[in-house]
Amino acid sequence: MTEPRPSGPAAVSGVEVMRGIGAQEAKGFWADAWDRVRRRPGAMLGMAWIAVMGFFAVFAPLIANAHPIRLERLGADGQVLAVEWPLFAYLSPTDWLLMIATAFGVPWVFFGSGRLGRSGRIGVLIGLAMQAGATIVLAALLIWAAEGSGIESLERLTRLDAGPWPLVLASAIIMAVLAIAVPIAAPVMRRLGPILGAAALGFVLSWLAGGRTLVNHEQVILDEAAGKVRATWTLIPWSSQYTRSDMVGIAPGTRVADLEKTASFKGTPFGERRVLLGTDAIGGDVLGQMLWACRLSISIGLVSTGISVVLGVTIGALMGFFGGWVDLLLYRVVEIFMSVPTLFVLIVAAGVLPRNTYVMMAIIGFFSWTGAARFTRAEFLKLRKMDFVQAAQAAGLPVRAVLFRHMLPNGITPVLVDASFAIAAAITIEATLSFLGLGPDGQASWGKLLSSATAATGTFVWWLAVFPGLAIFLSVLSYNMLGEAMRDAIDPKLRKAAH
Amino acid sequence: MAAHDMIAKPAARTLEPLMSVEDLAVSFDNGSGPRIQAVAGVSMSVYPRQTLAVVGESGCGKSVTAMSSMQLIPRPPGCFDAGRIMFGGRNLLELPEHEMLKVRGGQIAMIFQEPMTSLNPVYTIGDQIMEAVLLHQAVSPDEAAGIAIKAMADVGIRDPEGRMRAYPHQFSGGMRQRVMIAMALACRPSLLLADEPTTALDVTIQKQILELLRGLQQSSDMGMMLITHNLGVVAENADVVCCMYAGRVVEYAPVTELFDRPLHPYTRGLFRCIPGLSELRNRLVTVEEVVADPREYEGLRSEAGPVVPWWPFMDQSQRPALDDPSRPYALVEVSPDRWVGCWRTPEVARHPSRPPRIAPA
Amino acid sequence: MATYLLRRLLLMIPTVLGITLMVFMLVALAPGGIGAGLAVQGGQMSDTSKVAQMQAYLEDRYGLNDNVFVQYARWLGRVSPLKFGTTPLVAPTGDLVREPRDLPEPVMAWAFPAPAAFIVQYTPPSGEALVEDFKRLQREAEGTRRTYVGSVRGVKDALADHVRAIGAPWTARLEPKGGADPERFRDLPLDGDAPTLVKLRAAAATMHASWSEAEAARQRATIAFLARPYPAAGIEIIPNAFSLGAPDFGVAFSRNRPVWDLIATALPVTILINFIAFPIIYLVAVPTGVLASVRRGGAFDVISGLMFLLLYSIPVVLTGVFAIGFLANNQYLGWFPVSGLHDSAAATMTFMPYTDAAGAWHRGWLIDMVWHLALPVLCLVYAGFAVLSKQTRAAMLENFSSDYVRTARAKGVPSRDVIISHVLRNSLLPLITMFVGIFPAMLGGSVVVERIFTIPGMGSLVIEAINLRDRELILANTFMISSVSLLALLLADILYALCDPRVAYD
Ligand SMILES: Nc1ncnc2c1ncn2[C@@H]1O[C@H](COP(=O)(O)OP(=O)(O)OP(=O)(O)O)[C@@H](O)[C@H]1O
Ligand SMILES: [Mg+2]
Repeated sequence: MTEPRPSGPAAVSGVEVMRGIGAQEAKGFWADAWDRVRRRPGAMLGMAWIAVMGFFAVFAPLIANAHPIRLERLGADGQVLAVEWPLFAYLSPTDWLLMIATAFGVPWVFFGSGRLGRSGRIGVLIGLAMQAGATIVLAALLIWAAEGSGIESLERLTRLDAGPWPLVLASAIIMAVLAIAVPIAAPVMRRLGPILGAAALGFVLSWLAGGRTLVNHEQVILDEAAGKVRATWTLIPWSSQYTRSDMVGIAPGTRVADLEKTASFKGTPFGERRVLLGTDAIGGDVLGQMLWACRLSISIGLVSTGISVVLGVTIGALMGFFGGWVDLLLYRVVEIFMSVPTLFVLIVAAGVLPRNTYVMMAIIGFFSWTGAARFTRAEFLKLRKMDFVQAAQAAGLPVRAVLFRHMLPNGITPVLVDASFAIAAAITIEATLSFLGLGPDGQASWGKLLSSATAATGTFVWWLAVFPGLAIFLSVLSYNMLGEAMRDAIDPKLRKAAH
Repeated sequence: MAAHDMIAKPAARTLEPLMSVEDLAVSFDNGSGPRIQAVAGVSMSVYPRQTLAVVGESGCGKSVTAMSSMQLIPRPPGCFDAGRIMFGGRNLLELPEHEMLKVRGGQIAMIFQEPMTSLNPVYTIGDQIMEAVLLHQAVSPDEAAGIAIKAMADVGIRDPEGRMRAYPHQFSGGMRQRVMIAMALACRPSLLLADEPTTALDVTIQKQILELLRGLQQSSDMGMMLITHNLGVVAENADVVCCMYAGRVVEYAPVTELFDRPLHPYTRGLFRCIPGLSELRNRLVTVEEVVADPREYEGLRSEAGPVVPWWPFMDQSQRPALDDPSRPYALVEVSPDRWVGCWRTPEVARHPSRPPRIAPA
Repeated sequence: MATYLLRRLLLMIPTVLGITLMVFMLVALAPGGIGAGLAVQGGQMSDTSKVAQMQAYLEDRYGLNDNVFVQYARWLGRVSPLKFGTTPLVAPTGDLVREPRDLPEPVMAWAFPAPAAFIVQYTPPSGEALVEDFKRLQREAEGTRRTYVGSVRGVKDALADHVRAIGAPWTARLEPKGGADPERFRDLPLDGDAPTLVKLRAAAATMHASWSEAEAARQRATIAFLARPYPAAGIEIIPNAFSLGAPDFGVAFSRNRPVWDLIATALPVTILINFIAFPIIYLVAVPTGVLASVRRGGAFDVISGLMFLLLYSIPVVLTGVFAIGFLANNQYLGWFPVSGLHDSAAATMTFMPYTDAAGAWHRGWLIDMVWHLALPVLCLVYAGFAVLSKQTRAAMLENFSSDYVRTARAKGVPSRDVIISHVLRNSLLPLITMFVGIFPAMLGGSVVVERIFTIPGMGSLVIEAINLRDRELILANTFMISSVSLLALLLADILYALCDPRVAYD
């Protein structure tokens, strides 16, 4: 008799498999998923790019700014008369808040220690982000109300640079109420401290940024050339808003003094600068605008997806949990949203509504919740028949407890996995709308830059197409890669099929 | 019935088996986990007109054995480690794909456990039966339709012409299993592998289907491998029983003898845990209790010489000294036509048994 | 099948209504409201009071002062093929003529009592004379109505002036933009002879005079209308109560043309582009997905998956700009035309390409169109590859491990036939369903593509409509695009029902 080829001591028989012998030790669901995602180089590269984008989104005001960091006013014989810090006066409370939160929060999450584990620290940051989201929603409502009513005091509140403390306070209160009222938010409640801390920070910042004096950078450049001031500039001394009519459509890498119109600056610090990625049709710096545009992309992606997830999960949960006529009715609404060409309606909506960031976030979120709703509904319908939910119901747990403690955490997983794709889609939509001229007013945007590449004159300006185009592509690709990796990591059916 | 045949035709013993599985070992890659040795050295054989019943608990490798003989094991992750399956003088495991296509459905047919999902939902019943006929017989589509109608009539489907145009979802589970049987038998295979053909069906339909199979088998000299969990089915339909555990054969015997006098503790355990109607027991005995009892292993030792039944979970202290620790198992013919899986002691290694073959009498 | 179709068609109605209502509300909620675009038109006039009067007239004409729901209901009534109320007539020009509308009430009736209602006696002539008379009366009614609406606006302006003249606390009741809603000033004392007050009284007198004139003209025009100078539109079931007729999408004021005309030229273009793109997507994506699933984990699977993901991540606007810039622009390759659907000389081209006596090659109308459409279609198709091939692959893999595939293999079906006639055949069903997801997205995408390549389709039309806030055009566009989308989904449903025997029609 021939014995089977020895296949190593580790081989187990089928009967043992049935008894669970040889099965791998179970890891936590998310830890396992994360491990799988981490093994995908594409996903890791995507995350790296998102991190870079996030960095620029937060620190763009410090990197690309027309305001000098330090300005020394010189006397006739070169002595320093006064020192100013125009950049810091220029920063808005939102800038401060973002930068401080990032500068301390990110290292804290990765290297911090203490009672909270890393997931706990991430939770705190998520809490903060949620609060920021609540602030933004409040601000949007306020702007809407202010425009409708014409009450001036309301309008003043909406100017965030004037100090958003009432908003911060209000959103902190909302978060606290949410944390107490909604059982799933219980973990957040334990982190109320940091949230209140953030609110306090918001107070201080808005007070700090109260009155500010701005310099006229045009004048500073002239004074600098004349030797009247000495300025320390940021890396890219050109903010997204700043344009120069004498420097229109400059090719990448050009030295300012080499241009005909600005030849007079030869020898001055301004004249020796190089315009790294060129300028656009109205004389704005492309690189500066691209850095600032990270803000718009990142925030629109995150906030609008947040809105759509919340909306979708709520509606999907209602449908899946109650079934019956609630399901019937709401599903017709879902069908309506599914069968309209979303981009088309978005274009109409963006066209007729005011052109600002909040409105854009809101409409993108409002028109893309059906995916999340359908996922949640399907998951809920499946879960409703599952033993543990039926057991919980049979045990007399109230509906709310069953919903929040048992069904929501399970039902929400596929939605979260898919959120990455939703963010990618939102970034694409933002670029498209901006491209069509329906984007937020007064905001740097990749799509807007891209649209100026093919000017009305019929000439094609390659640097206005290539650089912003690449940025859009890489961001969308990053989120898609990440989504793909997460989906493969989490969906057991696909995981099996992908074997 | 099996007993009658044995008495009636004692001369048929020289017959060659239709198919014989010899020391088959199949394993599966399990990603990051350890390899799964689904089958670890299995031998059995089927003769024409004979029904070999394969029993054993879930995961012991019954289906893998049957699927191996059709090369239906997905490779990878599956892999044939050792052994061969002889059929018509050829090793089925080494047949190239184009040869195998003729064997599948033509010479060996298979019926699966799940009648509800085993038929393609988008084709009519007629199309699916005719597909098999057209593949294996040189006939025109019209003739194939005739054959299909006859096959459907044979398995007791009323109005076969009309039903040809029906779709699977219009049939009940029992009807679908009949269709599966009609499809399997339409090409007159010489061997039928029936993998739990009745498990998903209710008791009355079960009985009908099995009677049908037995009748068709008698009229066509077909051999049959019947995989089942139901010992009642085994008793009524089988000639020979192969009892498996953990990818190995633990006992191989003619059905009457096995039911009269099971030799391996595991087999005994299987029989004991069936609640009998005649005996009134306070509680059921589980297989585990039987195989865990060292006394259960004594009987065989006294009857058939120094062999100890093989049991993978046997206490280290109870095991006999082995000839070669890497090959702990051997199938030993302890008495004529009775094979038991035993530990491969030096004694056993010195007197290898003949492979398990029980020709119909 | 017929009942199934009918039921699906009926179910589409609430969906279309839902979509149009949503868009209607959006346009109505927008700051500045529906009329915002009208100001753009009025902006060309120098005299501000004339602008205001023009705006008042337009607002009156399009019924913009009513409640949004009323406006929506009115719009629906016109679009619906079932028409209630007085049957409209068709003028020889093809334009619809409706019964002259009632005049809005004169404002500030509590201070300046409106003139008493009266009934004009007028007997319309018959035959040719009636047509001539009606035309004249119609013009007259229009003109006097315009004057009247303008005079109402004049009263409001005078009131606002007066309020500003007396100052606080009354000014707080003015609207943010400085207009006065007379209803808010019911308790404003109007005695005295301040100059503004005198002007207000004069404006009211003008208003009353023009009301009487307009009312008389309206009554005469109505009588002439009811005498039927033209034939009735559609099929009249109950005279002047219920009739059937074609949907009337109104007139696009930005172009002063019936919306239907604009759509009739734009819609075929959009549908054409999409119907060229669709087969391409399926022809590329399905075979790729099948191959990827057959050799899963192999090089082809990995590479095609990655490549399609890359393509999927390129926004249409980016491809469009790059294609125009590098492939079409003469600065670079200049291989393709930059814009439009046809060469300017297309009208004189033969349909098929030919080589003339001198040996010169002429591309002809067909090739010219293909040449123009190449880049737009390219932009439209590539994103669909990833979605569809991934779905194909997943569906194939799922079917590979299904029981009936095992049955087929046990029957001895060769593996190529297993893949094609069993696995692929069953995977087609989800692919048909995928259409539901892709088609609306593609219609949306074609808006952008049309815009980039200046193709005169629905996309270009809607963006123009949005820029001018042309409500009729926006609504009709949405309506048509949603209908096309829904019809395509219906088609997919029918296909599915035909492919899957398990679906019953009833
Ligand atoms: N395609 C496969 N991939 C991985 N492992 C497999 C595969 N097919 C079978 N196995 C393993 O082989 C073992 C034996 O499976 P098999 O289907 O033969 O059991 P069985 O005896 O037929 O059980 P049952 O009575 O439940 O049908 C199982 O434990 C299973 O883990
Ligand atoms: Mg089995």
